[in-house]
Amino acid sequence: MAKPFNELRERLLRAGVAPRHVRRYLAELTDHLADLRAEEERAGRSRADAESAALTRLGRMDDLFKAMVEQRQFQSWCFRAPWATYCVAPIFLLAGAYFVACFILWSGWKVFMPGMNTPFVRLDGLDGFAIFYFGVGRLIYFGAPIVIAWGIGVIAARQRSREVWPTIGLVLIALIGCTTRVHASRSAFPGGVEHVSMGFGLGPSAQGSLLYALVILSLTVLPYLIWRLQKAHSLSA
Amino acid sequence: MVARETNPNFMNGVPELLILRLLQQEEMYGYEIVQAIRSRTDAVIAVGEGVVYPVLHGLERDGALTSRRKTVNGRSRIYYSVTPVGSHRLADLSQAWTNLAAAIQTMLAGGQHGEALQ
Repeated sequence: MAKPFNELRERLLRAGVAPRHVRRYLAELTDHLADLRAEEERAGRSRADAESAALTRLGRMDDLFKAMVEQRQFQSWCFRAPWATYCVAPIFLLAGAYFVACFILWSGWKVFMPGMNTPFVRLDGLDGFAIFYFGVGRLIYFGAPIVIAWGIGVIAARQRSREVWPTIGLVLIALIGCTTRVHASRSAFPGGVEHVSMGFGLGPSAQGSLLYALVILSLTVLPYLIWRLQKAHSLSA
Repeated sequence: MVARETNPNFMNGVPELLILRLLQQEEMYGYEIVQAIRSRTDAVIAVGEGVVYPVLHGLERDGALTSRRKTVNGRSRIYYSVTPVGSHRLADLSQAWTNLAAAIQTMLAGGQHGEALQ
């Protein structure tokens, strides 16, 4: 990316223009600038003069900025509806991940441990595939909040979003992640049906739940904060 | 560096009209479009050349233009061409602009708008 456009990129992103539109706009401006510079050089100007004349012909940064920002259709959803992008969508994603994890638990219980009253037992007696199958479920259950919260941080960083909504989203995901509990039970008659359900609560170990919330937050918020500090430092330098 | 004088706001609707008209004849990339506007209007219409891209992207998003990446002389360019939707839009814009220009011309000449359309 040509240096003259670094500031324009930051301004466009902060004004809510979607990163893909900013990328394409700046790529085309860079090509255009190269064409103008070549034209000016062919007209006999020195490289420095050609660069200066090309930038003048391309337009003032304020005009280039305004021309893009005035096209409202290029604004990202993070800017139009940050509450939906950083809070509602992640919660739905987390709900979907938990549904898949519960389905794996329920189906694994039905297939690999048909006689057991609960799937929450030591897996030593099961074959390798069953252990792998339940392992995938556990990975989704424990990993989903971290991955989704990390996604919130990445999107917020790419879009240069203000901190409020991403922070609310991160805290919500951490709270849901640490308070969600899975219950499994079997109907009280011979050969009864397996039930898997979810609820919220701190469980027997409140400390453990809070520790998990801290793990989620530290794994996701810290990289985001470090990125913001680095960005602020590089812009002020 | 002295800023080049440009037409304020590049006149509402005019960039679209000129771009659609040019691209109806042949596909072009941004730099070519701006140079063509400059040469065909004898530089009467002067713009900060970079502001043409948001207009192009907007037209593409509306379905009036389509784009494709093409490598020419080792450089990758995005070429734009008009779609059927763009052709309809061009016809509408041309009609509106012709009426407007006739009305303004009549006003300047001291007559009434109806006379100019007869």
